Amino acid sequence: MATDQIVTSQVPEQASAPDAGSGLVIETRNLTKVYRDFWGRRKVAALKSLDIEVKRGEIFGLLGPNGSGKSTTIKLILGLLFPTSGRVLVFDQDATETRKNERIGYLPEESYLYKFLTTDETLDFYGRLFDLSGEERKRRIDELVELVGLQGARHRQLKEYSKGMTRRVGLAQALINNPDLILLDEPTTGLDPIGTRDMKDLILSLRDQGKTVLLCSHQLSDVQDVCDRVAILHQGELKELGRVSELLKVQDVTEVHARGLSEAAKSEIAEVIRRHGGTVESIDNPTTTMEELFLNIVRESERRPGARRVTSDPADVDTPPADDSTKSRAQK
Amino acid sequence: MMLQPEDFWSFSEWLLRPESFLESALLQGVVLVALAILVGLLIGYLVSAGRYGPGEGFYAVARAVRDLVRDDLPGTSARRIYALARLAAKEAFRRRVLVVVALFMVGLLFAGWYLDRRSSDPARLYISFVLTATNYLILFLALFISTFSLPADIKNRTIYTIVTKPVRATEIVLGRIFGFIGVGTLMLAPMGVASYFFVTRGLQHDHEVVDIKDLGDGRFEGKLSYDQFHDHTFTLDAPAGPDEVALGLTDAVRGHRHVVRRIGDRYVIGEPTGALRARIPSYGTLIFTDRAGNLDTKGIDVGSEKAWGGYGSAGVSRLVGVTREARRLEYGYMEGGTLGSAIYTFRNVTPSRYPDEEGIAMEMSLRAFRTIKGDIVSGLNGSITLRNPDNPQIESNPIGFVVQEYDVSEERLPRQLEGTDAGRVRMLDLFEDLVSADGELEVIIRCTDRQQYLGATTSSVYLRPAESSFAWNLAKSYLSIWLQMVMVIAFGVMFSTFLSGPVAMVATFVCVLLGFMAERIYDIRYYMDRGESMGGGPIESLVRLLRQDAMTTDLDVDAVAGKVIQGVDAGLIYTLDVIATSLPNLPKMLGTAEYAASGFDIFGSLLARHSVATLGYVLVAFLIGYFFLKTREIAA
Repeated sequence: MATDQIVTSQVPEQASAPDAGSGLVIETRNLTKVYRDFWGRRKVAALKSLDIEVKRGEIFGLLGPNGSGKSTTIKLILGLLFPTSGRVLVFDQDATETRKNERIGYLPEESYLYKFLTTDETLDFYGRLFDLSGEERKRRIDELVELVGLQGARHRQLKEYSKGMTRRVGLAQALINNPDLILLDEPTTGLDPIGTRDMKDLILSLRDQGKTVLLCSHQLSDVQDVCDRVAILHQGELKELGRVSELLKVQDVTEVHARGLSEAAKSEIAEVIRRHGGTVESIDNPTTTMEELFLNIVRESERRPGARRVTSDPADVDTPPADDSTKSRAQK
Repeated sequence: MMLQPEDFWSFSEWLLRPESFLESALLQGVVLVALAILVGLLIGYLVSAGRYGPGEGFYAVARAVRDLVRDDLPGTSARRIYALARLAAKEAFRRRVLVVVALFMVGLLFAGWYLDRRSSDPARLYISFVLTATNYLILFLALFISTFSLPADIKNRTIYTIVTKPVRATEIVLGRIFGFIGVGTLMLAPMGVASYFFVTRGLQHDHEVVDIKDLGDGRFEGKLSYDQFHDHTFTLDAPAGPDEVALGLTDAVRGHRHVVRRIGDRYVIGEPTGALRARIPSYGTLIFTDRAGNLDTKGIDVGSEKAWGGYGSAGVSRLVGVTREARRLEYGYMEGGTLGSAIYTFRNVTPSRYPDEEGIAMEMSLRAFRTIKGDIVSGLNGSITLRNPDNPQIESNPIGFVVQEYDVSEERLPRQLEGTDAGRVRMLDLFEDLVSADGELEVIIRCTDRQQYLGATTSSVYLRPAESSFAWNLAKSYLSIWLQMVMVIAFGVMFSTFLSGPVAMVATFVCVLLGFMAERIYDIRYYMDRGESMGGGPIESLVRLLRQDAMTTDLDVDAVAGKVIQGVDAGLIYTLDVIATSLPNLPKMLGTAEYAASGFDIFGSLLARHSVATLGYVLVAFLIGYFFLKTREIAA
């Protein structure tokens, strides 16, 4: 996916309409959802008195284990479920209002698409649902197919696609209307590490364009990489809410990154720390992440095709040096 | 073909019933729509109130109504409906619905083997076969495609990506309905064309001249070869000159004739004509006279041969208990050799409408009831007398005919005929003397065999001013099938908005079935209301079955049990009656096939009535579907 090619011009009229005052894109008030059986008997309380606010232009993450109420919250926001009590406001309108959908893009947990359509037909169909004109649909489809990197497969039926490719079509349909609010349910499921990285880059670039993103995920590293704020749910209740940078900050530990230090210099720094009453927990060379290792190998392979020397001794693994130019924005 | 009085109504008569508004289709439609809305709102409220409490429940229902009027109807977009319709159609084609067309075509290829070629009326056989086969195939197809699509979308959650777009519930329902109608139409069209060729080609055949006899006066009489299980005799008129073509016509066998030409020594036998027709009948009003010659509205009741009457469709009037009159026709009989007669009065009998110099074509399908065996081989004898309604002194001499039972016999009323004018015998001119100043003509039918009876209804005798094209008539039959398909699709989509696929299919099927049973249910009510023992309602029938009691005896249980059984039955039958009256009367629409098969032009007013009724039901189904989809938690 080529994140630098996102086109933000030609925003539909309704998308640029200002929110009525509050600057809040999503607001839940005392939101409660109780699932009932056929006879109306109470089965399970999926969500209990949830109060969250998602502001314009932020990436908001919903975190939690299975059954914690993440998907229920998203479905309530989309109007796919009705609250048992409390309210959801999206762009200051009730979540059951159809009109709000004109500014929303939604990527479901699994890509619920019509398998007998091709990518072009799929996007054309969803474009028509937004009442886009033929010309505009064609332009948007071309842009999005390029954005999600499906140029070579746009005339194939989705049933021939791999899971990752279907996911990309799902993402493209979510963006067909150039939405102001994008809801992503497990956006990286089924994607390979490159796809995952691209997806994260895309989410960030959407934020940079002033869009609001709400995502829910099990992949804690993804959430950590992209989200500005997170809400952690458990058993239908809100357990934590705040900025990722603040929530993750370990208050009494200091981290220093330096390059090109000699062993003597390291000993001297440790001495200085001890002199100031601190405790040196470790002075070591950092390891890269598995994601970074994988991406570097793939990039190198693309530059120099052919078999790569692999040794069984971990010490011999040819770890390429961290290269600033290839470092993703997601890691910054 | 026996037509009921309601079949003769014009569109406005059917819609408004000026003399009895309670029976009008308009009132029935309005009541139905109002009831559907009221019951829908009530059920919606009860469900919402159960879920959210009485106050919030009311708010939820009110919001659904407000959304429909304020947002969803005005916001409905043709582009979105088109997109959804196209998707529904693509999905149906992906499910290989076209196989049904292929099956139909294969069926037609082999049908010729199994249709009885020795039938006395092969045209009727061929036409009813294709129409019935198409009708049931298309209805079953409509049932399948319309009921499974939406539940499948909800089940595999593809609906999530649709309802999270600015798509209105109105558009989802209409898109589905239109999409499936498109699929059905695309399938019905080739089936119709194939049917046309099947019928016309299937009846096509040829003969050769096998025998020819010179009659001496320049005319010839001959016989054609035995082909397709029949042969013909023919006469050839003398040619105008030695080099001219001699023209002749065969007798009518199995509903058709051939034109025979002799060109020199060569005979050319024309294609069969007259088998595929679309007669446009002009019906009159009927009144009887009893054996003493007094006017009588019903004729003689000969028991079960009269064809039992019943309520027929009488709109809302029957449900509110205003009418207890039979609406269905019964045959009235006239006794032979007495003054008993059936008097038909035809209107608008003018030379411009009947320009044929040979006279007015009149066709009859009378019933015979014999009290003595007599000559069982030949038919009963009757007579036709024409009379001027303004001046009953002027009447023609009786024209004799032999009744052809279960068949349509054609008579010709000649332009010039012998008759009496105030007791004086003279030649009468049909239009000058026998037709009244305002264009009315009385045709009096009598039975001339003593102790035998002839039965007649309004549709038994008609004049035939014109003929329409068979192809157009077949197209009208297909239009009627199309309307039925539209109705089934609308009901299927409606049920699929709140039921799972198989359940929606069963529900739609039950509706179709109840529609088919409607007339029977009306009849059961009719007999119960009249206190006639005809088997009773469901419980009484069961008791009779278990006790092995005859249908027409009194129910043989003690008085209290009898009252309870009949009371419960009355309630059940009344409920069924209400439901059946609310459902589309599919048999009436299916009945148009009978018109085509019998060679009658399908009345335009009848098609107009079916079209309006279909539109009405589609509207009701759309509204109900909308409310269910709107108030449904898609992800629940």
